[in-house]
Amino acid sequence: MNAFQNILVFVVVAPAGIFAVFALLWLLGWNPSERLLSGTTGITFSACSAGVAALIWKTSSALSVTATFGSWFAVGTYHFPLVLMVDRLSVPFVALAVVLSGLIGQFSATYLHRESGFLRFFLLLHLFAFGSLLAFAAGSFDLLAAGWEIVGITSVLLIGFFERRPAPVENGLYVFGIYRTCDMGLLVAIFAMHHWAGTASFVAGFPRFTGAQEVIICLLLLFAASGKAAQVPFSGWLPRAMEGPTPSSAIFYGAISIHAGAYLLLRAQPLLAQSVIASCLVILIGAITAIHGTIVGRASADAKTSLAYATLTQVGIVFIEIGLGWRWLAIAHILGNATIRTMQYLRAPSMLHDYHQMHSAIGGELSPTGTQLEEMLPEKVHLWLYRWALDRGHLDTMTERWIIDPLSQLSAYLSRGDQRPSPSPAPIPTGCAAEPSTSGSSQGGN
Amino acid sequence: MTGAGPSKSSRIGRLRHVMEHAAHPLPRQGPIGIFVHHNTLHAFEHLPFEEAVKQAGQLFEAEPYMSEARYRSELSRGRIQLVDVDAVIDREPDSLIFSGLSRSSLRRAMITPGVREFDGATIVWRIEQGDLAKDFQAPALRILFDACFTRAVPHEEEPAAPRPVDEVIHPWLIRLCSVFLDQGTAYWPMPNREKGFYESVRTLLSGGGGIFPKYLVGLGEEFRRQQHLGFSAADSVLDYLDSITPEETEWAEIVQAELLALPGWAGLMRKLEEEPTLAPHHILPCSLMDFLAVRLTMARIAAQRGAAETIPEESPLKTQERRRLSRTARIYDAARVLRLSAEEVARLSQSEWVVFSSEIKAFNGLERRRVLHLAYERAHEREILRGLASHRKYRGLFDQGQRPVAQVFFCLDEREESMRRALEETSPAVETHGAAGYFGVAVDYKGIDDPHGAALCPVVVKPKHAIVEQPKAGDGSVLNSRRWRRRILGLLMRNSFVSSKTLLRGWLSTAALGLLSAVPLIGHLLAPRRYALLREWLNKAFLPEPRTELTLMRNTRQSRGAVSGLLMGFTAEEKAERVASVLGPAGLVHNFARLVVILGHGSSSLNNPHESAHDCGACGGRRGGPNARLFAAMANRQEVRERLREEGIDIPPDTWFVGGYHDTCNDGIDLFDLDAVPSTHLPDVESIRRAFDHARAQNALERSRRFESCLANADTKRALRHVEERSEHLAQPRPEYGHCTNSVCIIGRRRLTRGLFLDRRAFLLSYDSSVDPDNDALAALLAAAVPVCAGISLEYYFSFVDNDRYGCGTKLPHNVTSLMGVMDGHASDLRTGLPWQMVEIHEPVRILFVVETTPGRLEKVIDISPALKQLLENRWIRLATIDPASARVHVHRDGGFEEFHEDLERLPVALSSYEWYAGKLQHLSMAWIQTPRTATGDGLR
Repeated sequence: MNAFQNILVFVVVAPAGIFAVFALLWLLGWNPSERLLSGTTGITFSACSAGVAALIWKTSSALSVTATFGSWFAVGTYHFPLVLMVDRLSVPFVALAVVLSGLIGQFSATYLHRESGFLRFFLLLHLFAFGSLLAFAAGSFDLLAAGWEIVGITSVLLIGFFERRPAPVENGLYVFGIYRTCDMGLLVAIFAMHHWAGTASFVAGFPRFTGAQEVIICLLLLFAASGKAAQVPFSGWLPRAMEGPTPSSAIFYGAISIHAGAYLLLRAQPLLAQSVIASCLVILIGAITAIHGTIVGRASADAKTSLAYATLTQVGIVFIEIGLGWRWLAIAHILGNATIRTMQYLRAPSMLHDYHQMHSAIGGELSPTGTQLEEMLPEKVHLWLYRWALDRGHLDTMTERWIIDPLSQLSAYLSRGDQRPSPSPAPIPTGCAAEPSTSGSSQGGN
Repeated sequence: MTGAGPSKSSRIGRLRHVMEHAAHPLPRQGPIGIFVHHNTLHAFEHLPFEEAVKQAGQLFEAEPYMSEARYRSELSRGRIQLVDVDAVIDREPDSLIFSGLSRSSLRRAMITPGVREFDGATIVWRIEQGDLAKDFQAPALRILFDACFTRAVPHEEEPAAPRPVDEVIHPWLIRLCSVFLDQGTAYWPMPNREKGFYESVRTLLSGGGGIFPKYLVGLGEEFRRQQHLGFSAADSVLDYLDSITPEETEWAEIVQAELLALPGWAGLMRKLEEEPTLAPHHILPCSLMDFLAVRLTMARIAAQRGAAETIPEESPLKTQERRRLSRTARIYDAARVLRLSAEEVARLSQSEWVVFSSEIKAFNGLERRRVLHLAYERAHEREILRGLASHRKYRGLFDQGQRPVAQVFFCLDEREESMRRALEETSPAVETHGAAGYFGVAVDYKGIDDPHGAALCPVVVKPKHAIVEQPKAGDGSVLNSRRWRRRILGLLMRNSFVSSKTLLRGWLSTAALGLLSAVPLIGHLLAPRRYALLREWLNKAFLPEPRTELTLMRNTRQSRGAVSGLLMGFTAEEKAERVASVLGPAGLVHNFARLVVILGHGSSSLNNPHESAHDCGACGGRRGGPNARLFAAMANRQEVRERLREEGIDIPPDTWFVGGYHDTCNDGIDLFDLDAVPSTHLPDVESIRRAFDHARAQNALERSRRFESCLANADTKRALRHVEERSEHLAQPRPEYGHCTNSVCIIGRRRLTRGLFLDRRAFLLSYDSSVDPDNDALAALLAAAVPVCAGISLEYYFSFVDNDRYGCGTKLPHNVTSLMGVMDGHASDLRTGLPWQMVEIHEPVRILFVVETTPGRLEKVIDISPALKQLLENRWIRLATIDPASARVHVHRDGGFEEFHEDLERLPVALSSYEWYAGKLQHLSMAWIQTPRTATGDGLR
């Protein structure tokens, strides 16, 4: 292995190493100090950033850097290839993941100071960085899927970070459901690739498929990408993901995770370019999402939801760009969108202050926004559109009424056969009052 | 609907009455941009404190005190002492339970060694494997438990089931409230919102073509029906109530339950209904009735659709058997700590057993916590009073000796205590005073950068005078170019922000310019202080600052602002009155120094929705710099001084007043109008500036001892850098600890407390009873200071003891909503109160006022003020006096003053504050800081 291959491996594996070491020591009962944890994080991501700089320099001359470790396991003709690769497509993503993870680590060291979940947050941040780097630097879809899943699970765990309140946990579960559903697309696509071409690796160019096979694989990948990127009809989970601490919202839904779907499509672009149907569908989904995002965002009155939809709008446009085959524009757009949203999320608590500043600078009168809506549309349409925006395109409502509810009824019906009749509980005598609700924290004494 | 005309309108009147009554407990916090500290349980002030926390606790399902475990750990580390526990128990009625056991001895035993808390959910586990299983290894205890079990009768009430309808309607209701109240986050304002909440929601939801969630299907038709009938909000509420119950007596309970289900939003609606101008940008027709009507209409549909049927089955953890076991365990544990044997328990007659078990029940967790809390406060009270009395006894009153080189007025804020001490330590010839931080000038102030005026005075005062900052002659053009450039900057900011969120413009700005935001991102995160300096430098370079003055002159009584109706400026008499209102009570009527500095204060921090909570409470949650500047300008006027002389305040001609501003977050100090200082006084100003520079660095160092993230071995320079960085750090959830340490308010001469280390825990208000023979000044001071200090103390108390219910939880997931408040995540109730990061090091005690006067004089003042009397008699504040002449201390207990007798030890002595606090994180006890008694020479270093 040459130096650049070593660097590549280091960049991807370093966050995993930090995660593994700290997680293991924690399991053994050790609780590292905040200073040690944030210091280590800083050093790791600084080193990774240097490594990324080297990789950028290398890929600007050579086309790619590849590191192969044979296969993880093999079953019959199937084998799971362990191959890392950065090329000109993945290097911007790798750079983005490393730099933003480092900056978010720096932010969180102060932001989460004295928070009881400090260690948990940093463990998840490292695991997430590893997952996203693995996804971006994978040389095959098999490995990419591994990174993809790690990103998904850390995302869900950070949404439910404040595990003592019900809302974060419920919303985390909702996101988990959507993620898992859409991940099926990626997994089936990989099966299909193996089935038809015997490999899902793209190190040496894409395997060859017939026209119909291409369309099916593209659609499956698009399904997976749409879920991760919160495209219509899956957009409902995005505002729910705002339950976690602000920096995790920033890096996941402003920057990395939300753009992972776009990366998947960019990676599959050689296939996509072959299929007009799939390309059109990507453009269609992107366009609908962009319009959905901008309309819903206009009726969102809280800082984070409004930012979430602003991000989503641009991701929709990125999908259009990908569908049109404008790779480099899409990449530039992703980098710009990710950076500005990270900044905006991190500054979201300042919204009040910023708005007040602008207000006084402009002289006390801000020109009203959104008046053209009232002027252009008849009142009925205007009201209808506003309500549509307020219910976020009715996406959640439809999911709940027409997917979740029938499913849970079905499962209730199916489980009826399993139930044994339970004895009815004995009547409870009432009388003098219970101890006033003072339990809360006092388990006292033991 | 019944009847028409008068009967209907009287029904609506009754409904209004019921609703207003039901709305009392709602939080009274306004939009978060102006944060005014107030008693969280303001609505319960008519009740005694202990009763109020209990009732409110039941209503809000909140904790009344800290947890018992917490008090126990305070007991074991000596913060609570047994003598205090005994004193509290001894003051309460005693009785005999059975021969050999009195109530007080039972209670003592239940606190030390102490009983455990049991509940039905864990009892079986604890018996089988937990602490009780361990107990039962001793056979005697096993038998004791069995003996108690055979006699225990289980009876407990079921807690109310959660209201499942909430889960259905809250997502919608929260979103509707947030867009209705929005002050500019959303690009589209809610249609028709100028018609009020009920009507705009009705119009919005009654239109066709939308999809409702499962349990709200039919909401559209219901709203259409109401629209068709021409309902007002009150009609809609009545219609709902009639459909539920024929009895008007049941209204109160229904309405209150509905309002308290989402108290933050309901409270804001009500607050804005009462004071619409609190809305920062758009005034909206808010009405609690509207809110109620929308809520009830939704609840009605949800209930019709069967949402309420999904009540979860009773938890299997709560069976009758478990309740009996946990009840047994409580009695068993009390018997165990009393060392009763199983035979003794079995021998008790039935009536003795009933009394015994009900006494144990009467001293339940809540009661034990009450006693422990009272002991906790009593220990604090004794420490403070002993310290003050000892300081007075062994140290005597501080004697400045000669004319001080400068006198500095600070706000009474407890955060200024360390600043004052630091100033006196580094410059012993300086004398400091404390006054409410608006310095008697209640004004509506409009600075050169402000679009509108804002009231700078306590919230209970409505300013009658307007003051405008304007450029000095010749600087008008500078101001114009400043305005013009600010406008460009503002428009640029706004456009880039708005456009980054739109579709097409957003495409351009993110794809082409998005990467540019890496510069502020990296700057803010990697070098926050330097980046702030850079921005400040750019600001200075780009935005010229004109020299300004305040429009404080008014010659005729007629000159009122055309729109506001406020008086423009002050007449000479009014000015003199205001200056006298601060100098007089403080006893500063002669012996003026050459320089008198008035320092207002405020706090600047970044990325902090609660920023205003750190500003000056006496300025209504705003920054007090202009008040100080105004005060100094008034006191420097010849005609004012002449009038003051007639009132006995003799300001010599060689005294000059300077106004200033202290930022309590970054410890910066600015002095105003230095170009107006006569050349004779320039050296004085120069030396006080140097004194401030020493003092603020010392102060930063003392504050830094509380910050774990500041290096323990920091020196003054690094500490100052550390606090400066805090105020500029994007990620800093605790830029300063605010009022976190408040616990005492000392109203008296500085001579009484000078040299005393009070650990930033005491509000210090200067008051000299010798110049106040008829107690008028004291009455005025108490009327201004008590509500402000008590409000701060009680808000911190409640936000600390139950941060989830009374406070707003951790800041980390907060989401600014409608520019009016914060939610957790994307759809929660509006969170009111203080975040955990602001209160985490607080000691929750009710504030102790110590007034340097006699009990007799103080009682006279209290008797004429019903508000004060209520606070005191219901024990929301604690009160003590220290006699100015004899130094005897009296403390107010059970409705009267009693003398405080304790042996006084000398306080520990330290050569400097630093020596006393270095390396310590915790609250510190009082100490005597040994500084030079009097200054020689110029005294200033």
